[in-house]
Amino acid sequence: MIPALGRFIILASVLVATTGAFIAYAAGAKRSPEGLRWSQRFAYLFAALMIAATAVMEYALITHDFSVQYVEHVGSTEVPMWVTIVSLWSSLEGSILFWGFILGIYIAATTWVNRNDHQEYMPFAIGTWLSVGAFFSFLIAGPANPFLTVANPPLDGPGPNPLLQNHLLMIIHPPMLYLGYVGMTIPFGFAVAALLRGRLGQSFLRPLRASLLLPWVFLTIAIMLGGWWAYEVLGWGGYWAWDPVENASLLPWLTATAALHSAIVMERRGVLKGWTVTLVQASFLLTILGTFMTRSGVFNSVHSFTQSSIGPTILVFLAAVLLFSVALLAFRIDSLEAEGRLDSAVSREGMFLVNNLFFVVLTFTVLIGTCFPLVVEAIKGKQMSVGRPYFDAMVVPIGTALLFLLGVGPALPWGKASKKESQRALLPPLITGAIVLAIGYALGVRNGWTLLTLLFGGYAAHVTLAQMWLPLRQRLKKGDSFGPALVDTQLRRGRRRFGGYIVHAGAVIVFVAIAVSSTMRTQQEVTLNRGQSTTFAGYTVTFIGTEQRAEPHRQSTIARLTITKGGGGGTPSGGGGTPGSGGGTFVTTMEPRMNQYAAMREPIGTPAVYSTLAGDYYISIMNLQGDQAGVLIINMPMVGWIWFSVLMMGAGGLIALIPARRRTYVVVPESTAQIDSEVVA
Amino acid sequence: MIATLFLLALMQIKAPDAEQFVGPPQGTPLAGAQLERRAMEISSEIRCPVCQGLAIGDSPSQMAANMKEQVRELLARGYTENQILSYFEKSYGQFVLLKPKFQGVNAFVWILPVLALAAGFVLVITKAKKLEAAPAKIAAATDEAADDDPYLTRVREMVEKP
Amino acid sequence: MNRNVLIIGIVIVAAIVFVLFAGLGKDPQHIDSPLIGRPAPPFTLRAVGTGQTVDLESLRGKPVIVNFWATWCGPCFEEHPTLVANARNLPNVQFVGIVFNDTDDKIMRFLAERGSAYPTLLDANGKTAIAYGVGGVPETFFINPAGKIVAKFEGPLSTELLQENLEKALR
Repeated sequence: MIPALGRFIILASVLVATTGAFIAYAAGAKRSPEGLRWSQRFAYLFAALMIAATAVMEYALITHDFSVQYVEHVGSTEVPMWVTIVSLWSSLEGSILFWGFILGIYIAATTWVNRNDHQEYMPFAIGTWLSVGAFFSFLIAGPANPFLTVANPPLDGPGPNPLLQNHLLMIIHPPMLYLGYVGMTIPFGFAVAALLRGRLGQSFLRPLRASLLLPWVFLTIAIMLGGWWAYEVLGWGGYWAWDPVENASLLPWLTATAALHSAIVMERRGVLKGWTVTLVQASFLLTILGTFMTRSGVFNSVHSFTQSSIGPTILVFLAAVLLFSVALLAFRIDSLEAEGRLDSAVSREGMFLVNNLFFVVLTFTVLIGTCFPLVVEAIKGKQMSVGRPYFDAMVVPIGTALLFLLGVGPALPWGKASKKESQRALLPPLITGAIVLAIGYALGVRNGWTLLTLLFGGYAAHVTLAQMWLPLRQRLKKGDSFGPALVDTQLRRGRRRFGGYIVHAGAVIVFVAIAVSSTMRTQQEVTLNRGQSTTFAGYTVTFIGTEQRAEPHRQSTIARLTITKGGGGGTPSGGGGTPGSGGGTFVTTMEPRMNQYAAMREPIGTPAVYSTLAGDYYISIMNLQGDQAGVLIINMPMVGWIWFSVLMMGAGGLIALIPARRRTYVVVPESTAQIDSEVVA
Repeated sequence: MIATLFLLALMQIKAPDAEQFVGPPQGTPLAGAQLERRAMEISSEIRCPVCQGLAIGDSPSQMAANMKEQVRELLARGYTENQILSYFEKSYGQFVLLKPKFQGVNAFVWILPVLALAAGFVLVITKAKKLEAAPAKIAAATDEAADDDPYLTRVREMVEKP
Repeated sequence: MNRNVLIIGIVIVAAIVFVLFAGLGKDPQHIDSPLIGRPAPPFTLRAVGTGQTVDLESLRGKPVIVNFWATWCGPCFEEHPTLVANARNLPNVQFVGIVFNDTDDKIMRFLAERGSAYPTLLDANGKTAIAYGVGGVPETFFINPAGKIVAKFEGPLSTELLQENLEKALR
């Protein structure tokens, strides 16, 4: 019953998306308002069907209906409720359905928000979104159908991949990632619409920018959560391994970030339109490439979905969208180009160009590094690897250059600056940079790149903070009272600017925290007998003992270690149990564990982390044998700052995203011009 | 007696050794903190064959632990980084090197990004020059004119009607 | 129409699609062995149970099948009967099992339950496995009478696959 219902809904959605896409394109070509209205209805209907299909699947999962093939694959009556619910995205077929669900919501929401605006572009945009929707519906209906019927349903299933059951972050990380990935479809639709129309007006910049910024925020947070998850679960004390799937999430983020920057120049100067549109298209294409990387089985990754046959289908789609985009750009890019000009290359606009260059080169480097083994194997038939040492060597200089621009760019004035003006803007922040550098050096930083990061970081922090409050300072100088001026400059009129600088401030901290945590990290592997202690990085670790804990879906062995500060370490205290037996003051108890899941032969460890503002003390179990525990202890300064500051970047993005004064509809063209000029001002 | 026999048997045990593959050590034997540091550095450049793209230094698997131990032992015996890497390469191929060699086709993975950066710089400079030279035009002018399109006005009327 | 964009675009599209297409259908876990066609790395290891040592070099003159496995590995479980049966049927081929990072008693229990027909050697710290470039268990190497590795097989062997690879060792 349930499988048939699911299949019916999905087939209907293929039909609705295809028909809707045709109607929308026809409406665009014929400029038919009636057609636009119909395509809007199809967009809503598509979303409704996607939501319904997902609801049916969730119902099947929650009721453990093992006659549905997907439930048979990932369901289990043994796992907790939250695991059952998130099983929707724990395996290939469900994850594609979830993709369709989010795509539906995005399409309907964007169509609704712009239901009365941008009629010139909307039909083409809706047509593009529904075409993408049609493809994903087709995937769900055919190659990745989760609603197949199981002839003889079993009484129980294996449950989802244990790695996914191992941490609560699995509830939030995948939805965030999908919100980011899938959301890139929306600006792509807008970009295609602009190209098909052959123009990109000022008023259309706003939906384009907003639709890019929203998924950017989600993707930013998702990437951070992915890193955090790896850090909390995988047990090697790292958060980024330059794994193909990790890279796949980073690639569209990089091009989207570049596009957000070039859009500013486009808005200010009317230049770089074609370039911005290209970047928007690239961001979408890279999300499809990412789907391919995760689901084709071509790339070897911890995060890949196992056994999948949809690789060729996604590749065909990717090739089609690539060709379509290239052709569209080739035929239409000239109609968008250069209406404006630059006053001087040594200006903020000029720095935006350099910023874009570095973002694109970074994207290219990550892409080449990820795909190069495939290239070599295809042409030479030989295997090779490109891993973390390569990426670290290549990305660190580019990243440092970007941090440099993060400081210098906003310091330079718009338009044209005299030499004196430039000097006045560029020199003072150097003092802050030097101070931060000196502090780092005093605290023991010796790595050249890290020292450079501290210098540029201090510089950029100075510039960012100064720019962030500049409008407020100007208003106060004019004699405005503090309260209203604050609200107006930071949260109302200057909100976009304020949000942007919050993102920058977060980025500066991320750069510094990554540099410091990776180069200042120390680690030690040690085997401890029960009651024995060791001293490492200022703390004394005492192994108290182990405890077994049985949960329905797993067996855990928990090692208990007490952490003390000060006092003599390294001597077996023998007492074995009282906190603080190491002699110093008791700090905390850490409980790294090994979890044995029924479906897996080798246990999965969960490290224990003791976080402070200064850094993390991280213990993971290497092996446990009776009264002996082999543990890996890692001391990583500043690592917690990364999570916090990426959240700050997301928050900044959201602040910049809050819509301007709600404008229901535009009757007189003049009012559009007015609002646009206000935003520019 | 049995113990002696066992010991004898143990002494005969001979696993394949790096010496057969890369010759005698060419460096100085390391010990203590320096050994640990170098072992960690080299371990981050060797790919764990049973894992998914992780370095042996980052992997908790038994295979990786064995390989790390091997790296440490070879360093302690005075083998150089190059010798150790080429020992692993002899049995696993270039697959095992996470940092591709600057050699043959593989060199391109290092060269291409640099070329891209250089080409990009040229492009950005030409583009900036071109934009500086462009005649000043009011960007918005063409735009707002188009918004007067009678078609659009009709669209608005139609869509805004309930 | 912007011809530059078109040309550059088509080149990029073609390159990406070609590379990804070439990657399809490959097993990302597979590792090509550079040892094929080269002399097998020699070893002398202790056999579990008997305590005797087996020296690879002393086995010259007949084909040798070296099977790396572990007691905790599922596919090894699966292929074990095939290996035992073939070892009994092929007296002219020397089978050798190598287990790394495992304990004698576990191996003994495994062999007692599932039968054995050839020596199983213990590779205490995985050195032999490393020298052979083992990237997972089970993995089987076929060595010809002259002591050269002629084939490597990843995953559980069936009788047909075993025969097929053995052919190469007899040629």
